Amino acid sequence: MGCTLPDRSDPEGPFAFLSRRRALKWGLGAGATLLGGVGGLALLRGKAPAVAGLSVLSDHEYRTLSALARVHLPTGGAFEQGAEGLDLARAFDGFLADEHPENIRDLRRALTLLELGPVLFEGSLTTFSNLSAAAQEAHFQAWTVSDLLLRRQVAFAFRKFLSFVFYDTPQVWKHIGYPGPSLRGMP
Amino acid sequence: MSGQILDLSQAPPPPLIEADICIIGSGSGGATAARVLAEAGRDVVVLEEGADYPGERLTQRDGEMYSALYMDRGGRTTEDLGVTVLQGRVLGGGGVINASDVVPMPPGVREHWRRKFALSELTEERIAPYEKRALADLHASRIPDAQVNRANGLLKQGTEALGLRGEVMLHNRVGCAGLGTCLIGCPINAKKNPRFVAIPLALAAGARFYTRAQARRIRYADQEFKRISVRVLESGGLRVIGQTEVRARTVIVAANAIASAELLLRSGIGNGHVGRHLMLQPQLPITAVFPDKVVAFRGIPQSYAVTHFETEDDPKHGLWGFRIEGVMGTPGMVGSLLPFTGAQGKVAMTEYDRIAAALLLVPDEPSGTVRVSSNGRLVISYMQRENHKRRTLQALREAARIYFAAGAERVIVPVAPPVTLTHPDQVEALAGVSLRVASAPFISAHQQGTARMAPSARDGALDPAGRVYGARGVYVFDSSGFPSSSSSHTMTPIMTMAHYFSDRLLAEAPAS
Repeated sequence: MGCTLPDRSDPEGPFAFLSRRRALKWGLGAGATLLGGVGGLALLRGKAPAVAGLSVLSDHEYRTLSALARVHLPTGGAFEQGAEGLDLARAFDGFLADEHPENIRDLRRALTLLELGPVLFEGSLTTFSNLSAAAQEAHFQAWTVSDLLLRRQVAFAFRKFLSFVFYDTPQVWKHIGYPGPSLRGMP
Repeated sequence: MSGQILDLSQAPPPPLIEADICIIGSGSGGATAARVLAEAGRDVVVLEEGADYPGERLTQRDGEMYSALYMDRGGRTTEDLGVTVLQGRVLGGGGVINASDVVPMPPGVREHWRRKFALSELTEERIAPYEKRALADLHASRIPDAQVNRANGLLKQGTEALGLRGEVMLHNRVGCAGLGTCLIGCPINAKKNPRFVAIPLALAAGARFYTRAQARRIRYADQEFKRISVRVLESGGLRVIGQTEVRARTVIVAANAIASAELLLRSGIGNGHVGRHLMLQPQLPITAVFPDKVVAFRGIPQSYAVTHFETEDDPKHGLWGFRIEGVMGTPGMVGSLLPFTGAQGKVAMTEYDRIAAALLLVPDEPSGTVRVSSNGRLVISYMQRENHKRRTLQALREAARIYFAAGAERVIVPVAPPVTLTHPDQVEALAGVSLRVASAPFISAHQQGTARMAPSARDGALDPAGRVYGARGVYVFDSSGFPSSSSSHTMTPIMTMAHYFSDRLLAEAPAS
């Protein structure tokens, strides 16, 4: 993954909290130990499909976030349009490209933690992306109400981002009764 | 002599800009000071990190506008993610992206400042003329009844049904077309905010405004002439493309209670009170679903306030209690605040046009800090106090009662796990709602207190004229100086005090 980090104008960012949360680093450290090091992790999470054109995210991170987007904003239900097809993970990748290097590092760690969540917190041998959709949703919901602050923070941050981008998408508006910007109209 | 607005992202600046007075921040405090000081004949330069976004550049789209107009693209938070800290980053500052509420500082608050904080100079007689001018500059008027949209009308209806006190608010719009996107800027320039009042007057008096100019450090603060290191940002404001320096005799910091404290700390200016005593006035949203269309996203989003539970003269705190105000956002913002995951979230958003929403505005006491970490990053820490939680939970119950009295089908408290009420009998259960960090979407729009005024350096960071203790000719003219919550909405108090401070500066500091 090639990534050119910009000279950022503003070192703070929406996810800066994670960099100051050493728990994230420790959580990953503990996870790596539990999994017998990087080899164990690679074995469990399997191979992710190659994705072209990413600026920041790795193929695995992209897969984790795509899976989360699909369960958080599923196709069907109240209306057909879901995250599938909108490529919210790529939108996040584009967002990250303009973030401070520390935020980029921490958000990537957060995605790895989410991927390893079932293994670290539930004793499963299946990582997040390899769970069924129902299990992924249950797992993520558990994070939103977890007693562990770090898990709530990760869930809170990704849920906010995904929902924000999804409902700012014109294809979605007709399903929620929003006729579009009052002066500018539909883009 | 006419001034100008120079976008540094488009034209490289000279290596050194000279002025008598350098003002950092172009919002309610900075623009007001620029106008007063330039009209008095001073050579004024204003540095603004954001860009100029007049109406024709405002797209009414969440993603684009939060990125363009807000600090950290709208994502600034406390370090624990407990409170989203909204702060403008645009020429004209917070007035460009606020809800256009005009709420002057209640006299009880000034009395509290005189009594508790020994700010005896801030008498009614002295401050009243400045407040009057601020209200005139804002073109303040009561929102016409015809412009109270249905969502706010329902809040009013429920309030009156329960015999509570409330009011249609004052605002600073002229020619409002009810477009509904005030929080991401008015595309027809109906807001009479600093961008369209103080800044044109300052320009006419010769002030120079530099945009995409990020002040990073003030040096030589103990000497007659200060140097301000400035980063030049590219047009999107995300990358640094150059640098310059400003040399000025007087520096006025007016960049909001977060950024002003950050700049002082980064510059090593001021005493141990700088960065402390932070008040975020965290607000929590609540939503109600009605059986028929509300269309809250059209019309003025915030026009009615329930003031029944608010007090301005609490002996210990001044402004206290809470108020409840109607509010609404565009789909991205609303979607991001609702707590649902999976299919349930989509169901909730299909009711977007049947939702009325309110914000619970609960004043706080100093509960946080701003600091700069060892690696140069801003850190906002905040610990919500028990009394704030208690009043927030009471406000939730009162808001729920009001919405049920107005005919709501359901009331939704957007915490995780989500709480949905279907009957007024369930309201008392809200006393047990958990407001723990990263579970409740608290928002801060009125940060105050990080360089509070006091008669001596022992008790505060600024003297009662807004001058930084321990520095020479460095001032802070924004809500950083407020020792307790000035108002439920800080724009008018900031303008009032910035004008007062500017006149004092003119009286005390000789022209160069």
